[in-house]
Parts: sequence; C-alpha cells; structure tokens
Amino acid sequence: MEICTPDNTTSSILQSAPRRPVDSPTPLCLSCGTCSAGCPITGQSGFDPRKIVQMVLAGRDKELVKSNLPWLCTLCGKCEYACPMGINIISIIRTARGLVDRDKVPGQIHKGVELGLKTGNNLGLPQEDFTFIIEDVGEELSAESGFEDFMVPIDKKGARMLHTLHNKLVNTQNEDLVHWWKIFHVASESWTIPSVNWEGVNWGLFSGDNDAMKTFVDRIAHHMQALELSCLMYPE
Amino acid sequence: MEKWHPEFFDRYETATVFDLLIEYLKSGRIRVDKSVNNVRAAYHDPCNYGRKSQELFGHGYFDEPRWVMDQCMSDWVDLFPSRGNQYCCGGGGGTLLTPFKDERTHYGRKKIEQIRRTGVGTIVVPCHSCHGQIKAIAAAYDMPDLTVKYLWEVVADALVIDPD
Repeated sequence: MEICTPDNTTSSILQSAPRRPVDSPTPLCLSCGTCSAGCPITGQSGFDPRKIVQMVLAGRDKELVKSNLPWLCTLCGKCEYACPMGINIISIIRTARGLVDRDKVPGQIHKGVELGLKTGNNLGLPQEDFTFIIEDVGEELSAESGFEDFMVPIDKKGARMLHTLHNKLVNTQNEDLVHWWKIFHVASESWTIPSVNWEGVNWGLFSGDNDAMKTFVDRIAHHMQALELSCLMYPE
Repeated sequence: MEKWHPEFFDRYETATVFDLLIEYLKSGRIRVDKSVNNVRAAYHDPCNYGRKSQELFGHGYFDEPRWVMDQCMSDWVDLFPSRGNQYCCGGGGGTLLTPFKDERTHYGRKKIEQIRRTGVGTIVVPCHSCHGQIKAIAAAYDMPDLTVKYLWEVVADALVIDPD
C-alpha cells in the first residue's frame, strides 16, 4: 500500500517545516477548526490558523508569505496543543516567516537581528555606553543598605555563571536590572556579564532566520569557553 | 544549543531562572519574608516556559514558578485556564516588535478578561515579553492600576538582608 506523505506537495513550506511536536503529516489535518476556536486572534485582520494550514496544503505558499498573517501569530502554540492530529501549525508559520525577503520583515525584528549580528546586541549599543549604564546602575544599587560592596562583575574570568541581558533592560528599563543582581549578591553567587555580545534575546527565533539564530547561540558557547565559566543561566 | 552544540551539555551546567530561584531558596542561600508581598496576586504562565517547553523539550515549567510564588507571596491565585491551556498575552513570537498594535491589543483582551475575573491588582510573570504586553493591554483596557511584576522581582522584594 502506498502511504501518502507531504512529499507530493507543491508547498516548500510543508517540505521544510519541522514536524513537531509529533511527527504527523500535515495532510492529516481534519480542518475541524479547534485551532481557530482556541486562538485569541482568529478573525482579526484575516487571521485563522485553520485557513493557514489549508493554504499551504493547497500549495499557496506565496500568498501566505506575502501577507501579514505570519507576523500576527505569537507562536504561542495553543492551536498545536489542542490539535487532535498533532499538526505542526507553529512550524508552518515560522517557516513562512523565514521565506519573507529580509527587507520586508515588518517592524524591528530583522533590524534587531542585523544589529545583533553586527554589534553584539539588538540595540546596536556601543560597548562603552553599555559599560557606563551597567556600572551606573550597579553604583546606585551599592547605595542601598545591605549592598554596599556590590559591583557588577563584567568579564570575570573563572566565575561560575554566565548572565546575559534582555536588551530592553539596558535600554529603557534599567530599574529592572537589579532584581537578579540583588538575588545573586545575597546568595553569594559567582557570576559575570560579558562586555561584548551580551544580548540575551535571540530574535532569529522570531524572524525565522536559523543562520542568525545559530550565530547568537555560538556566541554564548564562546563566552563559556573564553571566560572559563561552568554554568549557563538561560536568558530570562 | 541542543541542536548546534550537543557537546555543550557534557562540559557545562545549565540553569533556568526557576532552577536558580529554587536552588537558592531550598539551600538557604537566600531567605525570603513573604509578608512583604502582602497583596493578592495572580500568576501568568508564559507560552515558552510552559506549553512550548512541554511540547519541545518534554517538560513544562508549571510547578516550579508556583512553588516560588508559594515562598514569596502571602496570597496568590491562578488564572483560568492556566498551564497548558493558558491564553498567550499577545506579546509573544516577536509581535511586540511589529507595527501591528491593533491586532496585538485585540489579542490581549482574553488575558485581560482572565485577570479581571480574579480581581487581583498584581500579576506576576517570568517573561519580558509578557511583562511589556500586559502593561500595554492593561492601559488599553482601562486597568491602569494593574501592577505587573517579574517572578524574580517578587523574590528580590522579599529578600531577607542580614545585617553585617
């Protein structure tokens, strides 16, 4: 008996989208609409996960890639979680994102990826500005009772743990940098922040850019080796 | 990391935010006084730590943050639905970086309805995207007094500082 697989599809999205969480061929979609009913954005600006699956099954990749639909999804996975057939809805949407011309990626996602690749952080913040902000916030913390001897350990070789930063904390929300710093201080943790490539957010994940994503992961591995660290704290 | 640097896990330890908080609290390296956090709060499950982690890595971080909440909050409640069936805040997947603000706000109405039903004034999250988005939708849906806190922020707020 010949088993029908997605290989005979004309959709390149279906051919390259990883089948997960379970290895279930997309043509098994029942078109039941469970995904759509659970999705908070179904019906808004034409978004509908069931229709997106049907679109790629019909080989209408171009239409999907050209639309804003892949970017309205938050990749939250509620659709997949509820899907009775285990269809890889999120992989399909993220794969579609990756097929969008990079200069047509809406908003800041790809611009941030480009800046991240070039400068080591998604803001494009120069190293001396970064160090200034971090040390300034650290000094403020040392004015608080119980934290008098606090200093931010930048590039501390041989520390135990690597701590990367979400760029928004360095950008506009400096006040939220100190929560972990306080905890580390009281716990007598041995930790460090790198002075370059300190970005803790991998926007390659969002933009569908696997090469960029790998570069950012490589940098983390490099820090661990270069700074002789033993424990990676996964980014917040 | 698992895909590109499989050898990484033989050479190095890794720790999630939850592993660290639990390690510090259980070992006594930090102590907390939950009477400091004396308002009723609710906990929101971020998609990536919960449902998606469960699907992709076989373990969803549902119980760990709740244990930390128990240590640090005098009183807290769950949203409904929660855990695997929770609603996304609407700020995930990079959507906060797109110009589609109307869609994002519409998306967030489900989360706001959930929070409003609990009657809490504080929502605790362990995710930067959720933090930003819930603040934005609280303003858009007439809940300007809703406080949004990070899970590690409520821990830091409740830290017992030993006098030297």
